[in-house]
This record gives sequence, structure tokens and C-alpha cells, in this order.
Amino acid sequence: MNKVRTVGEYVFAIGLLVLVWQLYIVWFDVPAYILPTPKDVGVAFYEMLVRENVLFHFSVTSGEVLAGFVLGTLLGYLIGYLIGKVKVIEDALMPYILLAQTAPKIALAPLFVIWFGLGLVSKLVLIISMVFFPVMLGAVFGLKSITYNMKCLMQITGLNWWQRIFQVELPHSLPQIFAGLKVGMVQAVIAAIVAEWISGENGLGFLLIYNSTTYNSPMLFATIIYTILIGVIFYALISLLENRLLFWHDSKQIKS
Amino acid sequence: MEHPAIRINDVNKIYRGSGGKEVQALTNINLDVKNSEFISIIGPSGCGKSTLLRILANLDQPTSGKIDWAKSADHIGFVFQDSVLLPWKTVYQNAKFPLEVKKMDSKENLANLDKLLELAGLKGFENAYPRELSGGMKQRVSIVRALSYNPDVLLMDEPFGALDALTRDKMGIELMRIWNETKKTILFVTHSIAESVFLSDRVIVMSPRPGKIDEVMDIDLPRPRTVTVKETPEFTTYVKKLREVLG
Repeated sequence: MNKVRTVGEYVFAIGLLVLVWQLYIVWFDVPAYILPTPKDVGVAFYEMLVRENVLFHFSVTSGEVLAGFVLGTLLGYLIGYLIGKVKVIEDALMPYILLAQTAPKIALAPLFVIWFGLGLVSKLVLIISMVFFPVMLGAVFGLKSITYNMKCLMQITGLNWWQRIFQVELPHSLPQIFAGLKVGMVQAVIAAIVAEWISGENGLGFLLIYNSTTYNSPMLFATIIYTILIGVIFYALISLLENRLLFWHDSKQIKS
Repeated sequence: MEHPAIRINDVNKIYRGSGGKEVQALTNINLDVKNSEFISIIGPSGCGKSTLLRILANLDQPTSGKIDWAKSADHIGFVFQDSVLLPWKTVYQNAKFPLEVKKMDSKENLANLDKLLELAGLKGFENAYPRELSGGMKQRVSIVRALSYNPDVLLMDEPFGALDALTRDKMGIELMRIWNETKKTILFVTHSIAESVFLSDRVIVMSPRPGKIDEVMDIDLPRPRTVTVKETPEFTTYVKKLREVLG
């Protein structure tokens, strides 16, 4: 019942937006190259799907996001784990990490192109740099929130380092890691799009630039919707995984 | 004389506090713990009772002195003030956790675990998650977990300290029952005089700065004990004497 209601709310909200959009064009006589009608955008969305090769570009961008996301998460956890465990590493790395984290990483994109070329690598590096920080911080905070008694228990029970990670430390860090993943997710899509603007010959970022330079507003709008879809799909996947893995966490216990 | 389960020999512990100042946490601790004996350690905060327990659990090393074990020093179970359960594991998975880690989950040990769960009144709650349990229930799970691999000695560091008074009394009775059945050697750190008299064969009174043993009192009350023992004049006398020693 609740699900039906939520879906209903979304349909209503989007419907309202489309209505306001249409009325605005009619009342203020907005030219189509500035703001195409919802119908034009809908047609373009459909045409791209059946005639143009949008699914190819869609999967290129999704693939980049997914690969960068997985690599960035693994790397983020690994470095976060080392920082959380070894004081020397924390002291040595933290200044650089804070510096790198506060820097707008989009600004590094042109640099990555010089360093890693126009291909996949520079795109992946940019996406990884976006996902890496929130996940790493989640891993560090997760590790540090393990209580003293829990550490004593692990020692008394005689867990080896492997068991420590997979039985206690990783599950314990999951709430913070997922918070990091959700932030990183949004950033990763931005990174993929920007990377394709710069170096792309394909992908949705490339389509955005292409449609913009050819003043094809309906296609441009439709492409924006496709990029939104990527974000929504990835976000939904992460939420699904989170609900599966964090069923035990306080944040999932909020009931009516 | 029977060889003691644990012999604590002239144990001293000195911490180096902030600013390089040395703090004597334990001074010349000597104690023989018999097999299947129930000993309570009582004293004000900072008297070193938790430090002694941590040294016995090998979580800390004595500065001097040594500890002899009848069997293996590794064979201890520890119960903390909070239950330290893993929230993503059920009651059963939490209780089984040490067996799994130690790769000791033989049929025999698992059958024994079932018995322990029943003994602790956790039958029917095996699939519940910690968040669904009361504080007393969680603490029972942590006791079963500590006993799951059949250790010789159970070390308990104020295990009922976070519980309300009613639950605390009940847990004392539960623990008596478990102790009766399993015949473990138990060292039990507490703040409560009445609790220590009710549970113990002997009560060790410690005092702070520097942490040392002030008094060892034998509690000569008949076993098995029930709640009614608390209303006897003997019980009251022990409580009174201990209160005097503690000042």
C-alpha cells in the first residue's frame, strides 16, 4: 500500500512539472531552441532509443561509472583500513588526503587527460578520485567506532586478521561506508559526464556536448534525462544492497 | 592440597601515566583460586580489580610477578559490562561465534551450546537479533558465548553493572544456576556487596592507591542458595562486615 502511494506521489510530482513546463512555453511563447516542449523531448527520447544508438552511449557511461565505482570503493576501503589501523600511516597520509579531498577534483580532469591520455584510464581515475574519499572516510570512522571491549573480545576469542576484517570490522563499518557510497555515487556520475565532455568520443557526456553544439535542444533535454536515469538506477541499486546488508542497523528500524 | 586452578604470585602492575608519572595499579597481589570456586572481587573505583582481571585474561602484562595456571592460560571466557554482541548476528550466531572462529563447531560442542542456551533461558530466542532483546537477555547471550568453548575459568567484569536492580537480582540467581551446572571457576568483579556475598565462596576486598588486597573473606553460607538466604542473619552479618572493611 505504501509503495503504491510513493509511486503515486512521484507520478503526480513529475506530471505537475510537465504541466507547468508546457504552460510556461505556451504563455510566454518560448522558442523551441531555448526550451522544447515536453512532447518534443518525449519524441526525442523515444527516437534516440529506437533510431539512434543511445543505449550504446548509455552503457558506455554506466560501464565507466560502475568500474570506477567498484575500483574506488575497494581502494577507499583498503587505504581507509590502513589509516584506521596504523597510526604512522594516518599521520603520514592525512595532510595529503585532506588537501586532495578539499580540492575540487573536477579541476583535475584536464590534468588527468595530460597524464593518462584521452582514453578510459583518465576517466576512471577521475571517477575513482570522487568515490575514493567518502568511502575511505567511512572506513576510517567505522574502524574507529569499534569499542574497546569489542577489541578485547576479538583478542580473547583469538580472531586472526582475516576474521577480524570480515567478521567484525567490515560489517561494523558498513553503515558509514554506505553513507560514503551514496555521496560518491552522485559524484561518480558527474565525473563520468565531465570526463566525456573533455575526452569523449562516446558516452552520454559526449552526446550532451554534441547536441549542445548542434542546437538540438529536444535531444539535449532527452540526453539529460538519460543521465538522470543512470544516477537513479545506481542510487536504487546501492539502496537495495544497503537494505539487504544493513537490516540490523538502527537506521533501518524506523517504523510507523 | 589440590593444585589451584590459578595461582597469582606477587603480581605488581605499574602504569606510566600522562607526564611520565608512575601509577601503581596493583601491589603484591597473591591469591590461590581453587577449581570450581566462585570468587568476587570488590572495591571502590581505581582499586585495580579490573586491571587484575585484564592481566588474567592476558589483555595486559604484569610489571612483575607471575600467574600459574593449572591448565592453559588461553582457556578463559570473559564477560564484559556491556554484552558486546554483534548486531548483525542472531542470538544463536553470536553464541556460536567463538566456536566458529576457533573452528571448534563439532557436533558435540554444538549440542553443548544448545544446552547452555537452554540453561540460560534463551530457548526460543535463537533467531532473535540483539536489538530485540532486553539488557538482561543480551548479557545472558554474552555469558553463553563466553562458555561456548568450555573454558576452565570465567572472568566477569561487572557483568550486571548496567542492569536495573530487579534484573540484576534475577541474573545473579541465573548465574548461580549456570555455575552449579557447569562447575566453572569464576572470578567476578562487582561494586555490590550484597551481590558478592550472595554469589561467592570467597570475597576479595581491594583498596586503591596502590591497589592491593585488604581482606579475603570466606562466605560460609549453605549451597545451593536461594533468594531467602538474603533474609538470614548470617547474610546480613557478612554484608555488614564487608561494609566495615570497605569503609
